[in-house]
Amino acid sequence: MEPEQFQQVFNRLETEVQKVIVGHHDVIRKVLIAFFGGGHVLLEGVPGLGKTLLVKSLSEALGMTFKRIQFTPDLMPSDIVGTEVLAETNGRREFQFKKGPIFAHVVLADEINRATPKTQSAVLEAMEERQVTVFGESHILESPFMVLATQNPIELEGTYPLPEAQLDRFFFKLLVAPPAPAELREILKRTTGTETGDVAKVLPEDGGKLVNEMKHLLRQVMVAPPIEDYVVRLVHATQTDAHNGGPGQASVKQYIRFGSSPRGAQSVILGAKGNALVEGRVHVSYEDVEKVVFPALRHRIILNFQAEAENVSTDQLIVEVLRQVPRN
Amino acid sequence: MQIPANAVVRDRPESLVSRLAARLRHHALWDSLLLFVPPVLACVYTVFFLHRIAIIDEMHFFLVAAVAVALGLLAVTLRMRPRRPSIMSTARLADEKSGAKDHFLTLSTIDPEHCAPSFVARLRAETDDYRGRIEFKRDFPYKPKRSALASIFFSLLFAGIIHWVWPLALPLIRAAIPVPEQLRELSQKMAAAPGLKNLAQELKALAAKLEDPKVPEQEKQAAVQEMEKKIEEQQKKEEQKENRDLLSQAANTLEGTEKQQSASGKDQQKDQQQGAGGIQSNLPQRGEGESKQSQDGSGDSKQERDTQLGQDIQQGKLSQGNPKEPGQEKNQQNQGDDRNKQPDPNQPGKEQSKEKADKNQGGTKEGAGRNQASEEPPQGAPPADRFYKAGEGKDGIKGARYVTVQLPEEVVADTKGERMATKESKGNRVGAKVPVSNMPLPAHVPNAPTEKQQLPMEYRGIIR
Repeated sequence: MEPEQFQQVFNRLETEVQKVIVGHHDVIRKVLIAFFGGGHVLLEGVPGLGKTLLVKSLSEALGMTFKRIQFTPDLMPSDIVGTEVLAETNGRREFQFKKGPIFAHVVLADEINRATPKTQSAVLEAMEERQVTVFGESHILESPFMVLATQNPIELEGTYPLPEAQLDRFFFKLLVAPPAPAELREILKRTTGTETGDVAKVLPEDGGKLVNEMKHLLRQVMVAPPIEDYVVRLVHATQTDAHNGGPGQASVKQYIRFGSSPRGAQSVILGAKGNALVEGRVHVSYEDVEKVVFPALRHRIILNFQAEAENVSTDQLIVEVLRQVPRN
Repeated sequence: MQIPANAVVRDRPESLVSRLAARLRHHALWDSLLLFVPPVLACVYTVFFLHRIAIIDEMHFFLVAAVAVALGLLAVTLRMRPRRPSIMSTARLADEKSGAKDHFLTLSTIDPEHCAPSFVARLRAETDDYRGRIEFKRDFPYKPKRSALASIFFSLLFAGIIHWVWPLALPLIRAAIPVPEQLRELSQKMAAAPGLKNLAQELKALAAKLEDPKVPEQEKQAAVQEMEKKIEEQQKKEEQKENRDLLSQAANTLEGTEKQQSASGKDQQKDQQQGAGGIQSNLPQRGEGESKQSQDGSGDSKQERDTQLGQDIQQGKLSQGNPKEPGQEKNQQNQGDDRNKQPDPNQPGKEQSKEKADKNQGGTKEGAGRNQASEEPPQGAPPADRFYKAGEGKDGIKGARYVTVQLPEEVVADTKGERMATKESKGNRVGAKVPVSNMPLPAHVPNAPTEKQQLPMEYRGIIR
């Protein structure tokens, strides 16, 4: 596959999703970058912003299997990964594994913070290992596999916030903002009339193969050593360990309980590579890094009590880190 | 992927970064050179100037110049090294100038072996398109930094000061160097010059003559004048510029010497006329003093009074001496200081013989002036305590208070206007116009109190 082909497919996917979803161009692009980067995305936004619709449209455009799991407090792990059921075949009774909704190319974990930690952790193995183990038997998940989880920042009563370990497994955390007036007008036009936008399938039948090729191409994008070094310094600047950061980041570190893990740096590089390919380049630039550093690090930086008390957000801290860490 | 054909034909775009880095290295080198070379040159010029005016010799000139150059090179190297642009920073600069999104940076820093060849070729082709946007002379011209300009300015200023102001100060500096030494150095230089050897030898001889204290001043002056004439003649004949410079230098030195000689001669004459001390020997002054004394014969000079005082001391009249006399005060201090150095009473004969010897020398020594009286041990040293009468001591009568007494002779002299100034100027103490005494003055004395003192009340009834 050539970079131009990648760009073409990517742009078509974007266009198809945008037929249904008004606005949120950046969210759509980042979701697609995460998809081709082989990661999972956590979408955060208040209800009614089209999170679920976005995921559904994306799966339709991809032409891949799509499953939705509505997370509730009484949801069990077996409801997600599947379970062994006694089935009779040709007069013989035997246990057969009944696949759960996790066995799909695109899985929507809606309101993931409403399920218990036990259930949430069932998704953990699936996201990272891309396999599930039921009764000691491992089952390989579909490829490509992507979990798109949503969570509501309000109505936190009776919810179970995702633990840091699970948050770290998400490639990007994207914030879905309310639509602008013009976008809202367009949404009304599209949803209250008789005409509804249909998402066309972009990928061919063997879309999985093409997606894997595109994922491989993305990893071939070149990163100059100084840019890699820049990413490393950015991630180290978020860490509280004295050995990893200079004294210049003191204003940032006072609000951080835990900094980004190495997965953060991986996400930044892969996201920057995806962004470079989308923009028609075969090498990563500093701008690519700075475009993806927010979704890649915002859920990996754990704030301390002082930050909570002073209402300091992780995005503000990332802005400060970008300001303090020089490019060269 | 399509790769532009011109990317293959032309040299690789990475070479642009290498050439740009070399250019920026040259800029850094120029910056360092412009910063440090002017001070080094100014320093070398200063040393050369000092060598030219014969303040430092050739060896020191070369030594200082070599050290200055070495230090300059070291400074240039040390300053330039951290300022040499790296390939990475140069590539970033090229990206900024051409508007490329880190194309040059990536191409210059990646390892092509670990990258997909198609990607490297594509990157190279894209970068090649950006290469046309960079023009070295337009985008990276050399501009001297302000520090370099300041260095050049101050170095030129310093050199200018050395070049133009130093010659004005040179005579003052030369004056500090003894003239014979200057002449000797000049003679050495002239000896090296062809055609000036004879003159050099004569200059050397003149230097020796000037140093000789036995040679009279007039003879020295005459020798200097004669040498000046010879040099003038030689200057007229001389054609070579170097020799003419040497000759003019010698002429200037001799001119200065002549002025010094004449000035010192005049000073000497003035000193002799005034009979003052100074650096001249004491013997002629004493003679002068004596002759003057004999000529004046008025006897009111200070020397005369000192002589009288010395005689008084010798006669044991010290206790009644005039305390206003500063010279005598000094003598008294010296006496006080020399208490521990009092003559050994066990050897009075020795002291007496010394006194006799002093006396034999006559008044010449005593009239040698106040300076001598204060610097040398007092001639009439007071005798030991046991030689004083009862109630007397070294400081005069014990428990006595001094009063200022105007002797009738002085009063008479004052009326004639002879002693007024002398009395007022004695020891910078203003003498009383009205005689002060506990004794009534005779009626003929002017300014005597006309009123009689009233009788005390308690005696009025008794004495009538």
